[in-house]
Amino acid sequence: MISKENITNILKVIDPSRGWISYRVTTSNNEIVIVPENTDNTDYQEILEWVENGGVIVDNGA
Amino acid sequence: MAITRLGPNQDITAAKIAGQINFKNIIINGDMSIAQRGTSVSGITSTSYNTLDRYRTGVSGFGTWTQSQDTDVPTGQGFANSLKMDCTTASGPDAAGSVLYLVQYIEAQNLQQLKFGTSNAESTTISFWVKTNVTGTYTVEIVSSDSGRHICGTYTVNASNTWEKKTITFEGDTTGTINNDNGRGFEIFFWLGAGSEFTSGTLATSWATSSAGNRVSSSQANIATSTDNNFWITGVQLEADTSASDFEFLPYDVNFERCRRYYYVVNPNNTYYATIQDFYCYNSSNCYGSLKFPTPMRTGPSVSMTNNGSFYYYPQTSFAINTSMLYSWQSDGEISYVRFYDGNAFSFGSASGLFEGGTFKCDAEL
Repeated sequence: MISKENITNILKVIDPSRGWISYRVTTSNNEIVIVPENTDNTDYQEILEWVENGGVIVDNGA
Repeated sequence: MAITRLGPNQDITAAKIAGQINFKNIIINGDMSIAQRGTSVSGITSTSYNTLDRYRTGVSGFGTWTQSQDTDVPTGQGFANSLKMDCTTASGPDAAGSVLYLVQYIEAQNLQQLKFGTSNAESTTISFWVKTNVTGTYTVEIVSSDSGRHICGTYTVNASNTWEKKTITFEGDTTGTINNDNGRGFEIFFWLGAGSEFTSGTLATSWATSSAGNRVSSSQANIATSTDNNFWITGVQLEADTSASDFEFLPYDVNFERCRRYYYVVNPNNTYYATIQDFYCYNSSNCYGSLKFPTPMRTGPSVSMTNNGSFYYYPQTSFAINTSMLYSWQSDGEISYVRFYDGNAFSFGSASGLFEGGTFKCDAEL
């Protein structure tokens, strides 16, 4: 489970074939966690709080 | 063994079903037998899941800790493991908001039998075994997440470094309801230290709207005062009753499956098993596959990968799939769709084959 305090950066990823959205999160210990866009997922809830606190998700549109 | 057939008007007596498993324990992994993340983690200074499944460690401004699945257990009670907290740097509380606790979150739909929010709300009783060299008063708090209400109780560790069984009964909450869903229902805190923000008020010994100052006893012990300090706990049980019954031991596989609803490690030892099903490369940049979970997870989990895998395809060719290639993921909690991406690395187009190795950690914790 990620914590908003340990998030370094986030890349929004849209699956090219299905259009599903997930977030590629890099944590402070260089772990990469893929988080689906799902409000029941507590990692996604942490992402939303990270954004509320000023975090910016990188969105390359792909 | 003789089989007695009951007549049409005969009831099964309580004595005949005594000791049978009925899943009365609301706590999961109460006997500390399941530790998918590892059996020992050192250097804990922040809030995280570390060793034993379902127990989250809350640390902020309260020293440094090693947590382990230990074999120190109360004699003759049937337990093989306990959760141990070992203070490796003594400090705290560093601030009014400092915290030190263990917490287990309970899924709301597993609490409907408590009938909270009705006049028939059930009392609950928590029981557990504890051992520490820090004698004194400790707080257990239940937060009912959907209503934002809480109730607290205290227990006293009387003897240093001696296993003691503790029991606290909480009244039912006739006011706050618990949603029938897969979100957090209860948050059960075992406080091991707290800053003044949490001890400044009057301990909420009846259900009330949650208030920070009323969460922890003003007499709460602090186990972060010395690197000599240790704290063990096992046999945790929360049941709908006004008194504690014997601990309900579950078969290991049942306990394991219950934990896997919230956290599942695929191929934990990184042996050469086929870890991803239906693996194929869609084009030179994207490979896809699916992971199926052995038990339905609470919701679509997050995923991380900690060991490289290999993709084998006809004829007798393979290449590595590195952890950095894990790119996107979607899941409904029963099956998942995983995508690896690496520019132009997958030069053979749409070949299909076998994905072996790789360790995937799927997290659907509350």
